[in-house]
Amino acid sequence: MRPLIEAKALSKWFGEVVAINNLELSLDSPITGLLGPNGAGKSTFIKLALGLYAPSKGEIRVLGEAPRNNHRIMRRISYCPETDNFFENSTGFEFIYWLNRYWGMEHKQAVKSADAACDITRMTERMHDPIESYSKGMRQRIKIAQALSGCPELLFLDEPMNGLDPKGREEMYQLIQMLADNGMSVVISSHILYEIERITDTVVLIYRGSLLAQGRVRDIRDLIDQHPQAIRVRSPKAREIAQRFVGEEHISSVEVEDDTFLLRTHDPNRTYESLNLMACEPGDLIEGIQCSDDNLQAVFDYLTR
Amino acid sequence: MSTSSAETDLSSSGKPANRGTLFLPSERPDHGGYIKALYASCRHALTTLARRRRLALAALIAFLPVLAPLALAFFSPSEYAESGNQVFVRLAEDIHVDVFTPLLALFFAGMLIAEDIEMRTMTYILTRPMPRSAWVLGRFLAYMIVATLILLVSALLTFAASSLHAKLSLVSQADLKLFAHYCGVMILGLLAYGSFSVFLGAFTKRPIIYGVILFYGWQHLATLVPGLVDFFTIKKYTTALLPLMATQRHNPVIETVLGNIQREVFYVGMPKAFAALIIITVVSLLLTVYATYKREYASDRAAGG
Repeated sequence: MRPLIEAKALSKWFGEVVAINNLELSLDSPITGLLGPNGAGKSTFIKLALGLYAPSKGEIRVLGEAPRNNHRIMRRISYCPETDNFFENSTGFEFIYWLNRYWGMEHKQAVKSADAACDITRMTERMHDPIESYSKGMRQRIKIAQALSGCPELLFLDEPMNGLDPKGREEMYQLIQMLADNGMSVVISSHILYEIERITDTVVLIYRGSLLAQGRVRDIRDLIDQHPQAIRVRSPKAREIAQRFVGEEHISSVEVEDDTFLLRTHDPNRTYESLNLMACEPGDLIEGIQCSDDNLQAVFDYLTR
Repeated sequence: MSTSSAETDLSSSGKPANRGTLFLPSERPDHGGYIKALYASCRHALTTLARRRRLALAALIAFLPVLAPLALAFFSPSEYAESGNQVFVRLAEDIHVDVFTPLLALFFAGMLIAEDIEMRTMTYILTRPMPRSAWVLGRFLAYMIVATLILLVSALLTFAASSLHAKLSLVSQADLKLFAHYCGVMILGLLAYGSFSVFLGAFTKRPIIYGVILFYGWQHLATLVPGLVDFFTIKKYTTALLPLMATQRHNPVIETVLGNIQREVFYVGMPKAFAALIIITVVSLLLTVYATYKREYASDRAAGG
């Protein structure tokens, strides 16, 4: 099966600043999370995929074709940018309407599509108000609405959760899931890991313009198994228990903080075994064990360390 | 757009409304042709221009020359009665053609594209499957409609005001021909200055500043410098199109021996001047379209960031 996005030795630089560095990537998941800290190159990658930038080196193909100035591809993809910019003095409806007209829709079609896009993003009530009067969350919804109205096969959402309140985020998660369930592919970028984790377990980690890891969160976790895993232990005698691990072959570091201590281990099974034994000792030495690594944040921290 | 079986109103459960469409790729609307894209671009630009205070300001400034013949007629009717023709010609040439035409071009055409770059709405436009030439030409057409309307109405009112106590007449064929001639020069001037301003907007971050320097600084300087430098101005060609030859005018500012030789030796006739203005227009617009395909307007640098 042809990948949705394929990058081969892709590089992009602006003057002396390297934004994307020799990226080799192939995406074909219905929802792909593009992860990385601010300035990692996520937005640049998306803009390369949209054809807004020309690669400085290498190539990128979207839906099998080079996207730059390619109208066939533009008809099939859509973009919700990170930046909060709109046409001056326009309402939310007008903004979507004119972009629909630019897309090539007839007047009636553009109106219908703008209406429907406002409806699905819950902006119908305020769609005829000036955008200047919108909250950050409403602006975000309008941006997503304009991206949906062209019925894309592949939707790029650049930091779409910015400015949304918890309820709005929940709706957005569900909207994205629903679109994906109905055949739309979504590439969503974020620097907030739990946002991505909430939507998909297929992620691409980008750091300083290079691919750090790609795949399912669990697979990435397996990839880094050779790295020490962090286990946080809560104990009334944290210092005393922690001392028992110092010098153990499978323990790489021990950090004590008040009533908890953090173990970094190369052999989690053996460490858990030791902790279980301690938990069975009299005096309730172990109050809680938490594998602080078992989330995307930990994976990301490891890989970028 | 068809209604999908999966559609349900989930608003009560806090999920996306989803009452109209799911924006599935199968629901994608038809794509309009070139003319429709051009029309949409023009309509949008006209709508945007109509809402700007800039339009009212430009119109106000453009109608100031009307006051000159009225004031002359009121304060010195006897002298003015003999010089109505001269007053109109003077105003049409020195104010409408030399000042207002480049001013309106800078006011409106200079920001046609620059504004979208600066406001970062270019990313929306450039991700639409619309021929860039249709977008540029549509906007340019909108500028021409607005600027021509303002300038010609101002010229007409100035002509009418000049005819109050002069030999000019609104029913005289010769006088109307003179008026039409100036209108033609103004339209050609708007085309050349406007297209060059659009080009400046597409290629530079500060089109207004460059425009002011070029149109009001360089152009006047070039007429004083001996040699062929004035060929690199638009003013040379608009002046050559005026009803009276530049060489026959009494203009102490440029009446130098070298200046006279220059104008007589490097004389440009009306057909060549007309062709030159059309060539400037076409080349400027082609370069602008080229820029929209080649330049990376989505970058922070392009937006002045």
